[in-house]
Amino acid sequence: MTSMVDVRDVRKVYRRDSQEVPVLDGIKLQVPEGEFVALMGPSGSGKTTLLNLIAGIDRPTSGQVIVAGTDVAQLSESALAQWRSHNIGFIFQFYNLIPVLNATENVELPLLLTSLSKKERRERATTALKVVGLADRAHHYPRQLSGGQEQRVAIARAIVTDPKVLVADEPTGDLDAKSAEEILQLIEVLNREHKKTIVMVTHDPRAATRAHTQHHLEKGVLKD
Amino acid sequence: MKFLPYLLKHLRRNWVRTTSTVLAMALCIFLFCTLQSVLAAINALLESSSANRLVTRHAVSLVFNLPLSYENRIQSVPGVKRVARTSWFGGSLPAKKEGKADEGDSSTTDWSNFFQNMAVDAEPFFAMYPEYQVPPDQFQAFLQDLRGCVIGRKLAEKFGWKVGDTFFLESFIPPYRKRDGPFEFVVRAIYDVDRVRYPSADRNSMFFHYKYLYEATGRGVGAGTYTVEITDPNQAGAVSKAIDALFANSDAQTRTETEKAFQAGFISMAGNLALLLNGIGLAIAFTILLVTANTMSMAVRERRTEIAVLKTLGFSSGQVMGLIVAEALLLGILGGALGIGSSLALTWTLTHTPGIKDVLAGIGLSELTLRPVVAALGFAVSLFLGFAAGVVPALSAYRSRITDMLRTV
Repeated sequence: MTSMVDVRDVRKVYRRDSQEVPVLDGIKLQVPEGEFVALMGPSGSGKTTLLNLIAGIDRPTSGQVIVAGTDVAQLSESALAQWRSHNIGFIFQFYNLIPVLNATENVELPLLLTSLSKKERRERATTALKVVGLADRAHHYPRQLSGGQEQRVAIARAIVTDPKVLVADEPTGDLDAKSAEEILQLIEVLNREHKKTIVMVTHDPRAATRAHTQHHLEKGVLKD
Repeated sequence: MKFLPYLLKHLRRNWVRTTSTVLAMALCIFLFCTLQSVLAAINALLESSSANRLVTRHAVSLVFNLPLSYENRIQSVPGVKRVARTSWFGGSLPAKKEGKADEGDSSTTDWSNFFQNMAVDAEPFFAMYPEYQVPPDQFQAFLQDLRGCVIGRKLAEKFGWKVGDTFFLESFIPPYRKRDGPFEFVVRAIYDVDRVRYPSADRNSMFFHYKYLYEATGRGVGAGTYTVEITDPNQAGAVSKAIDALFANSDAQTRTETEKAFQAGFISMAGNLALLLNGIGLAIAFTILLVTANTMSMAVRERRTEIAVLKTLGFSSGQVMGLIVAEALLLGILGGALGIGSSLALTWTLTHTPGIKDVLAGIGLSELTLRPVVAALGFAVSLFLGFAAGVVPALSAYRSRITDMLRTV
C-alpha cells in the first residue's frame, strides 16, 4: 500500500524573540492510503504542530512532508492554498463555523473556490449534509445547533470537496460523551466507507482506540 | 459575484455598526456633493463673466452709490470703450396678486417670487452684453418707453409674461422706493441666451431704464456701480488702477475690478468660500476615513479565526485580502449611493421649493444642481474611502499566519 502521508525527518523550531524553541525533532511517519491514525501525547508534545504540517498550514524548519505525492514545503503560498483546497479536509476542535452563514452555506464555502455553478454547489453541500445526517438542519445557523451538530456541519464542510486526507484536531474535545461517540462513529464511517485517510489528534484514549494505528509524541519526538 | 452574498451577510452581522458606518460615509459624501454643487454653481456664474468687463463700485461698500458725474470721467480713461450705470434694484412683486397689485399698496411684498432686477443705461449696457439676445424691434420699443423693461425667457415663462404685459415691483432699498407706490413696468422685450456660447448666462433677470429709477426717485440717487467695457482684457489691471486713481482724493473713492472678481466678492468672497468648503470637505472625509478604518479593523480583528478558517479551507492570502477590501468597498458604495441620493434630493428640493428657488435665482444660483461629474467624483471619493479604510486590515489579514490566528482562539 502506498503512503498517503510521508513525514521524513521533520524538525520544527519556533523562534520566540532570540530564543529557539524546538517543537518537533526528527519526526518520521508514514500513513498509508485509507489508514486511520491517531496522534496522542501530552500538551506541548507537538502533535497539533505535526498535524498542521501534514495539513499544509505550516511549514517544517527542515525535512520533508509529502502528502498525496506532493512535497508541501516546496509549494508557494498560493499553490499551497490551492493544494489544501483539493487534498485536505480539516476538522477543528471548536468547529469554527462561520456564524453568519447557515449550515448549507458553511458547507458550501470551500466550493466557492471551484468553478461549480451555484446549483451544483448547493447539491454537493446538501449531499455532504446528508452524509453527516444533518439534511434536516440545512438552513439552521450555528447558534441554532448543538455542539455535536455543529461538529457534523464542520465535518460536512471538510468532506464536501472530496479531499484525500482528513485531519482532525481533537474533534471530540469540546463535546459531551454522547456527541463525541457519534462524531467518532461518523469519522469511522468516512474512513471505512468513503476510504478517507484520516489523521486525528486526540487526548482521549477511548477516541484513539477507534483509529487503526496510534502514535505517541513526547517533547517533539515520536515514541512509537 | 458569488462572494457577494457572503460579504452582505458579514455586513449584516453587526448591523448597528454597519449602519452607523454607512451613515457616516453617506454624510461625508452628501456634504462633499452638496458643497461641490454650490461651488460648481458659483463657478458657472463666475465663468459667465466677461474678461473685458470691469465693475467700478464705491470703495467702502456696495451700499453706497457713486456720483453720476463719474461716468464721463471713467469714459475718458484710456482703454475704456463703454460705460453703463448699473444699479441693483432689489425689487420684488407686491404680495397681493401676481402682476396685478394695486398701485400704492406697498405694505407687503412677495419674496417667494424674487428675481434679479437691475436699472441700467440700456444702450451701452446691452452693447457690452452680447450674451443677451434681444430682437431688434423689441429693443427699439424698449428704448422708447421709460417704463419698459427687458426680461429673460425663463422669467417670462415662469410668470406667463409676454410683451405688452405690465407688473409692479417695489425695492426693499429705501432710496429706491417711491412715495406713490411700486414701480410699474411694461414688458417691451424678452431676451434669450445663446446656450452654446454662453451656457451659464442668466435667463432669469429683468433690466429697466436707469433713467426711470432716477426720475421716479426725485433725481436723488447715484449709480450703484458702473459697468465698464475695455478694449483690451490684458489691460484690465492697468485700466482698473487708472479709474481708481481718478477718484483717489474724492469723497467717494472707487474700487474697480473685473466682473468676475466683483461677482466672486458679491457671492460671499467666493475665492475664500471655495477654500473653506473644500477644507471642510477634506476634514470630514479624513474623519470618516478614520472611523471607517477603525470599523474595518475591529471587524477583521473579531474575525481572526474565520480568516484562519478561510485560509485553511484553501482561500489564498490574496483572496482573503480581496474579500476584506471588497467588504470595505461595499460600505463605500452603500455610503456613496446614500450620500449622492441625499445630495440630489436636497439640490432638487432647493431648486423646486417656492421661495428658496427664487432666492437662489436672485443671486444667480438658479443652476444649482448635482452635476453628473460631481456625483461621479463623490462616488469615487466613497470608493477611495472604502478602499483606504479596508486596505490596512486587509494587509494585516494577508500577512497573518494560519497557525498564529488559530492559536489566539
